[in-house]
Amino acid sequence: MSSYLIRRLIGTVPVILVISLLVFAFVHLLPGDPARLVAGPDATPQDVANVRQSLGLDRPLWEQYAVFLGNAVQGDFGISLKTRRPVIEEIGERLMPTFWLTVVSMVWATVAGLLIGVLSAVRRGRWQDYTGMLVAVSGISFPSFWLGLLLIDAFSVQLGWLPTGGYGTWQHFVMPAFTLGLGVAAVMARFTRSAFADIAREDYVRTARAKGVPERLVVWKHTLRNALVPVITMVGLQFGFLLGGSIVVETVFSWPGLGRLLVDSVSYRDYPVIQAEILLFSIEFILINLAVDVLYALANPEIRYK
Amino acid sequence: MTACALAALAAIPATASARTLVVGVQDNLTGLDPTNINDTLSQTSLRTVYQGLFGFDRDMKLVPLLAERFEASDDATEYTFHLRRGVKFHDGTDFDAEAVKVNIERLANPENRLSRRSLVSMVDRVEVVDPATVKVVLKEPFGAFPNNLAHPGAMMISPAAIAKHGKDIGRNPVGTGAFKFKRWAADTFEVVRNEDYWKPDLPKVDGVTIRSVPENGSRVAMLQAGEAQFITPLPPEMVTVAERNADLEVVKRPSIVGWYVAMNTLKKPFDDVRVRRALNYAVNKQAYCKVVENGFCDPLDSPLPSLLRFHQAQEPYAFDLAKAKALLAEAGYPNGFETEMFGKNNTTAMRAMQFLQQQFAQVGVKVAVTPLEAGVEAQRIWSVAKPEDATVKMQFAGWSSSTGDADWALRPLLASTSFPPAMFNVAYYRNEAVDKAIQSAIGTADADKRAGFYAEAQKLIWQDAPWVFLGTNQLLTAQSKNLNGVYMLPDRGFSLEEAAFTN
Repeated sequence: MSSYLIRRLIGTVPVILVISLLVFAFVHLLPGDPARLVAGPDATPQDVANVRQSLGLDRPLWEQYAVFLGNAVQGDFGISLKTRRPVIEEIGERLMPTFWLTVVSMVWATVAGLLIGVLSAVRRGRWQDYTGMLVAVSGISFPSFWLGLLLIDAFSVQLGWLPTGGYGTWQHFVMPAFTLGLGVAAVMARFTRSAFADIAREDYVRTARAKGVPERLVVWKHTLRNALVPVITMVGLQFGFLLGGSIVVETVFSWPGLGRLLVDSVSYRDYPVIQAEILLFSIEFILINLAVDVLYALANPEIRYK
Repeated sequence: MTACALAALAAIPATASARTLVVGVQDNLTGLDPTNINDTLSQTSLRTVYQGLFGFDRDMKLVPLLAERFEASDDATEYTFHLRRGVKFHDGTDFDAEAVKVNIERLANPENRLSRRSLVSMVDRVEVVDPATVKVVLKEPFGAFPNNLAHPGAMMISPAAIAKHGKDIGRNPVGTGAFKFKRWAADTFEVVRNEDYWKPDLPKVDGVTIRSVPENGSRVAMLQAGEAQFITPLPPEMVTVAERNADLEVVKRPSIVGWYVAMNTLKKPFDDVRVRRALNYAVNKQAYCKVVENGFCDPLDSPLPSLLRFHQAQEPYAFDLAKAKALLAEAGYPNGFETEMFGKNNTTAMRAMQFLQQQFAQVGVKVAVTPLEAGVEAQRIWSVAKPEDATVKMQFAGWSSSTGDADWALRPLLASTSFPPAMFNVAYYRNEAVDKAIQSAIGTADADKRAGFYAEAQKLIWQDAPWVFLGTNQLLTAQSKNLNGVYMLPDRGFSLEEAAFTN
């Protein structure tokens, strides 16, 4: 297992290199001159030239890439064009807020999704199933933007229980985590339900029942454990998406996170920040994939890696 | 007795009466070095910490700040500034003539590559006459120089702090303002009261926190929930929501942001002045204000918004479709023509362009609206090297003269030396008499003479109509009723120095 892990980790190096090249190329192919945007709407050409020079944007592209890569290896992602602070600081400041928001959202969404999914599968065709799936469908189709504003109006403006936005205490987490997790919980519920239903039709489940294994054990041990494999994949994917894609929720709740930083950076052509963020997201996805593969093995002893 | 009570009051730590003003804004700050930033929000936020030799009052009029008065030579090449005495920077060092010299020379030095350098690039040398007097000699006449020094880009930084922090001065601001810098992280900028502030009885709040809340609805909710006491901007569609709340007050203030459509005068059919005038007659400016700005707007009556220095009202192009059609027919376009309009891709610009499309259609002019994302706009409009290569036909745009002076409103947009990529004359407008007036006006420090030149320039530009003149939008903000002394400046900045809570 550990040699497998090491091989997988080494295997990610060329992938990350290719990603870095693609990211660099894409970002620099975006139309528009960042120096002009940085210099501001009423800057003179001389101002723009100053900015371009001070940011190193007057150098040939390959040279900029070489510098970028060389520095990145040493953990230096340059200076943000917008704020002129080190990118690493800029991202570092926003990494933990997004990470914790994602974790809290994932945890409640996974637990709730699993419970609703299993309940619906076990009580298929009955009211628990219908209710569960109704909630799930609403969860998927509810725009998080609108939901967020509704929550703010109800719990902050009318009731005054929770802060409208920002980051700091546990109260700050309630509404954003609920909004962000709702879609995931819904997907998870539907996924669990169908995975569970598929497994429940398998021969070994029938055999278990025929052997007189108590229903509770059939559900939790034989069925759920196997149904978990596709669900884990789902959790992994959703986790990756949330880490990079909580843009709407971060905007509505003024959450100082990576999603908002990315939007700001793109509109500002803040090359170094965009590059570093996309690289970070790619690496996150690779690591999550790896974690998912390892979790498979833990969930299902049939799967073994060499 | 009184002294005793005051001392007792002063001894009370930040408790009961301790109030920090929280301001909700739309964007993040981009930096804390005033000489190296370009956005109004950062600049105006830094006015809590920094001050210049001059500033602007709430009507965008020049007011003395760290300088008490100045004298200028007739040819506008030599300025002597008499400085306020006894002012100290937050680090305890003195503000004096030497500090002014260090600051202006730092900004003017091309090697420092500071983005606001153009404010003082005409400076030849700075001489310290005595600790309270400084003389600035210019390479060429520049009549708007004190206005340039009132721009936030020319605010005074502690020379000791510059020496200590070097390039990191953009993270460690030290000025003479009413508040001292405390913290800047991600989306929050915090300052605390300067106990030794030189203006008596100010500041009245313990500190200010400026928080970025990009989503309009969330920003309004923040105010409703009492988490902020002042928000800007208040989107026009939220005005009724805010007005329904008895604890809130909606404030409307005039701006110096002028909106217009530049027509490329080098291209057919816009090379014909009759066509350009026809389009001015074809737009109902009142309707423009209603549709695009929800009524919070005034039609332009000059290329200069009315609060700018040297503004002079012109005879309006009244809404008159018959006249517009007649002019078009006279110019050889009885059935109108087809053209294209560029503009930004935000909601307001889109709404404006669609409105104009409908207006122009009434006289047979079919406009294809092309919204441009900022980067694309930079490429298509601002980076065109030769005028004849320009693809722009019409551009919907807005401009705010950040020095409050007519110069920065006319020269960059309408002087023939300002064709892109040099500056922003997208109309590619060239009128030698206008060029001469703009140049002469900057060649003297005599306000009356300058007024005369600018009156001439405004009249000619209005007649030539290189733009479809639209309107100036009002600035909308909302605040708690118990907050006083906070107001918007016409350039979209805000003044927080006199903020006070009534209960």
